[in-house]
Amino acid sequence: MRLLYQILWKDHSRVHLLGAFLGTLAGFVLLLAGIQFYMDLKAVLSENRDLLDPEYIVINKKVNIGNTLGLTGGGFSEEEIAEIKAQPFADQVAAFNSNKFPVQAYTEGEQVPNFITDLFFEAIPDEFIDVKSEDWKWDPEKGTIPVIIPQDYLNLYNFGFAPSQGLPQIPKGVLSMINFKLRLQGQGRGNYDDYNGRIVGFSNRVSSILVPLDFLEWANEKYGYFEKNDPSQIILVSKDPTDPSIIRFLEERNYDTIREKLKSSRMNIILKFVLSFLVLVAAIIIGLAFLVFLLSLQLMISRSSEKIRRLNKLGFHYREISRPYILLLFLLMAGITGLSLLLTSILAGQLHQTAEAWSLDISSSLHGVIYGTALGLILLITASNVAAILISTKKLCK
Amino acid sequence: MLEQDTSGSEVWEAESLLLEQGKPYVVEAPSGRGKTSLLSVIYGIRTDYQGLVYLDDRDLSSFSSKEWSKIRKNKLSFIFQGLELFDELTAMENIQLKNRITAYHSDERIMEMARLLGIDPFLQRKAGILSFGQQQRVAIIRALCQPFNFLLADECFSHMDRENSLTAYKLIREECEAREAGLILTSLNETGLPNIDHSLKL
Repeated sequence: MRLLYQILWKDHSRVHLLGAFLGTLAGFVLLLAGIQFYMDLKAVLSENRDLLDPEYIVINKKVNIGNTLGLTGGGFSEEEIAEIKAQPFADQVAAFNSNKFPVQAYTEGEQVPNFITDLFFEAIPDEFIDVKSEDWKWDPEKGTIPVIIPQDYLNLYNFGFAPSQGLPQIPKGVLSMINFKLRLQGQGRGNYDDYNGRIVGFSNRVSSILVPLDFLEWANEKYGYFEKNDPSQIILVSKDPTDPSIIRFLEERNYDTIREKLKSSRMNIILKFVLSFLVLVAAIIIGLAFLVFLLSLQLMISRSSEKIRRLNKLGFHYREISRPYILLLFLLMAGITGLSLLLTSILAGQLHQTAEAWSLDISSSLHGVIYGTALGLILLITASNVAAILISTKKLCK
Repeated sequence: MLEQDTSGSEVWEAESLLLEQGKPYVVEAPSGRGKTSLLSVIYGIRTDYQGLVYLDDRDLSSFSSKEWSKIRKNKLSFIFQGLELFDELTAMENIQLKNRITAYHSDERIMEMARLLGIDPFLQRKAGILSFGQQQRVAIIRALCQPFNFLLADECFSHMDRENSLTAYKLIREECEAREAGLILTSLNETGLPNIDHSLKL
């Protein structure tokens, strides 16, 4: 009823309502934009990572002077491995096996310069290895040992050593074709066998010289005589490498890994911190603005208390009398919802443009969570204000 | 049935008092005898009394706020001594504030009543700038814009001259008769109003 609105809306305080409106709006934009950006950045951090493609993390103990002097071991004990296996982020864990006998690699023949070098082997289960090759298997009949070396080794040669020494660069394919011999030395003089070796792949994941696990187990059985060593490297698979608890665990235990891989985990920690701070600030602002809202409406009602009593005497029920206040509340809340979503999407659009310049793929539209959050909060604020309006108008009526 | 238990008067002292629908009552008393209190109790505005008050067959204190709103729209109408007009609305808007929720009278009938009481030239003026006598007539018309079984009129002619009072009284009686409603009219002194057969001394 128009006259009712005319009577009751007259007593509003423009300053109070505007203040409450702007305050709530600011809090909303801060909160919604915070959530939007958090989700965007989170998506960017994990975008190179397929959900089905978990992260492989190789960890080792930090090398200290104690290791150098031989006072402390650099390997992982069985207890330590068990502890790592028990971590919630570790979906699969494997320790590196190593050779328990001396190995030498050498070349012979005309095509390549002759060389000889001592070598080591390590082995992990195949599912941890990023190189898939037909030749990656040990066949005792054929006697050829497939080897995987780190991509870094080849890079070091091709881009560091070869240019500075005037030597030719070697492509992967050529290196794979080079035949070399591997001499496995058992205990005692003359107790050795020569095998053919072949490089079948280059690993980006593992910084070690890898041979098939079944070969190494067989060879350790046949030639091995070193004492058992604790494995110095552990490889683990984590479905969510952005999980901040990974990096916390590693830091607590003084373990080391290739930091690059855990960058997203570290970023995640920072992001979460920034977001929680933002949410806290937004919550305080929204809380205060909510109070101002409540008080402004209550002030408006108490300013009109005489009129409300009068309307009640004329036969208006308190529910009818509270309608103009509730409508005013709805209008303001609708304004806040609309404007805050608009402003947030403008901000999101801006970020989208900036991110494009860095060739990051950030969504320009708002996430569904944003709408949900906005709606939920608005409903909460509206509902509690409606309750307060009804209570205070009821008090004035008989 | 009105039952009260307070100081000495025909109303307050009586063991019980029955006010019948369709009859006009005048309550006469000097200031401070409780005329407004009596009407306020009946209208449910004041609850600080002892005894029992029944409307039809129900105790007044048993009505909910919702029921009171209905009663004030359909069963009881009140011409307040303090008028209770909204200064910021025009005289017409004040009347329509009531008429729109009851839809009882047509705009034409309202105009007719205003003309009868001589306030038709002021209907579009803000109620706040009208004289008290004019405001009283606005309040009278507003109170007539609803169905009722009883009309409670609290010193509603106090600022009108004799001629205007009689015209307004006539209109009130007509409207009451049309509804077969009762009238309780309070007055400071002997009103000399015609056709009053029930006079109560407070």
